[in-house]
Amino acid sequence: MAATLLLALARTPATAQDQVKITGKIITPPGAVAPKGAPPAGPKGPVPRMPDGKPDFSGIWNGQRALPNQEPPIMLPWAEKLTAERTNNYSADDPEARCLPGGVPRAAPYHYQLVQTPKLLLMLFEGNIHSFRQMFLDRREHLKITEPLWYGDSIGSWDGDTLVVDTVGFNDKFWFDMAGHPHTTQLHVIERYHRRDFGNLDIGITIEDPGTYSKPWTIQRVSTLETGIEMSEYVCNENNSDVLHLVGK
Amino acid sequence: MIHATNMRVLALFPILVALVLPVLAHHSFEAEYDFNKTLTVTGTVTKMEWMNPHAHFYVDVKDASGKVTNWNFELGAIPVLLKQGWRKDSLKVGDQITVEGYLPKDGTKSMANARRVTLPDGRRVFGGSSADVADK
Repeated sequence: MAATLLLALARTPATAQDQVKITGKIITPPGAVAPKGAPPAGPKGPVPRMPDGKPDFSGIWNGQRALPNQEPPIMLPWAEKLTAERTNNYSADDPEARCLPGGVPRAAPYHYQLVQTPKLLLMLFEGNIHSFRQMFLDRREHLKITEPLWYGDSIGSWDGDTLVVDTVGFNDKFWFDMAGHPHTTQLHVIERYHRRDFGNLDIGITIEDPGTYSKPWTIQRVSTLETGIEMSEYVCNENNSDVLHLVGK
Repeated sequence: MIHATNMRVLALFPILVALVLPVLAHHSFEAEYDFNKTLTVTGTVTKMEWMNPHAHFYVDVKDASGKVTNWNFELGAIPVLLKQGWRKDSLKVGDQITVEGYLPKDGTKSMANARRVTLPDGRRVFGGSSADVADK
């Protein structure tokens, strides 16, 4: 990525009487670009632990980053068509751009803070949309969801040092990514959180949705720890003037 | 004034930080702006809007006939800008700056995405633009 940026930066700005000059395309539509490598590793050190010996995930983490060389999802025809339409329209209709929640497991560029107690793990999002997820560690059964939710109902259990978070009860409104991968209310997400060391959080995600994908879609991501900062405020609706100009193609 | 620039790129503060971080936005860059329509303008800062999801600043730009137009430039989100070293007072009213950016697809006048800004002291800094995204 750095090399790409340096190339881009080497471009000389345009000069023209009408302020506009035609230049070449430099990126493809959003969502169509796969990561070329893993992000830089976070700080090293031992895994912090809770009083009961379980790993403590508390901390401010950089947004989840997908690892390279992952298999794309196998979609049902309707989902494949819709994703292509969304991608080719530069994701202009993305709910996230309307300051709606990213859902699960949307990767955002902003930090998120994990706050862990023995019974509850909270995921506080800095950016879209400055809201939070609750992952209940002391409940073994899902709630009976009568109104589908943006973040669903999450219950967590331990598999050794890995926290397995099982979530159902989703609405079908959010996109998984800027490419526009869709889902139905049949969505079932299983996340496996493993703090590899002090500064690196490995996240394995399985997306099951027989209404959209012909087999479970697995995604491997990593978050790295940020130290010495605090979460900043982010009120998406304060000045979301972009929405009037999101024309896509 | 509108003019050409060919300065070396200088980041505000740790350059590599700005280069290696993913600068995803909450909206797709190309849903709104056109990579084929770039511009460079120089003018006087009139206002900074330090808000999310994107900060904006405004610049009075004088054309050859002396007519002044107020331009609206979009920066990145506050968390991204903070990480790049931007602060609310990084641009002050009255500052003479040069902005390189991209025009919107919908043809809105006097509005653009600010990719890089040349400050009064000559430093050329990133705007936290989602244009600087290599992997989304």
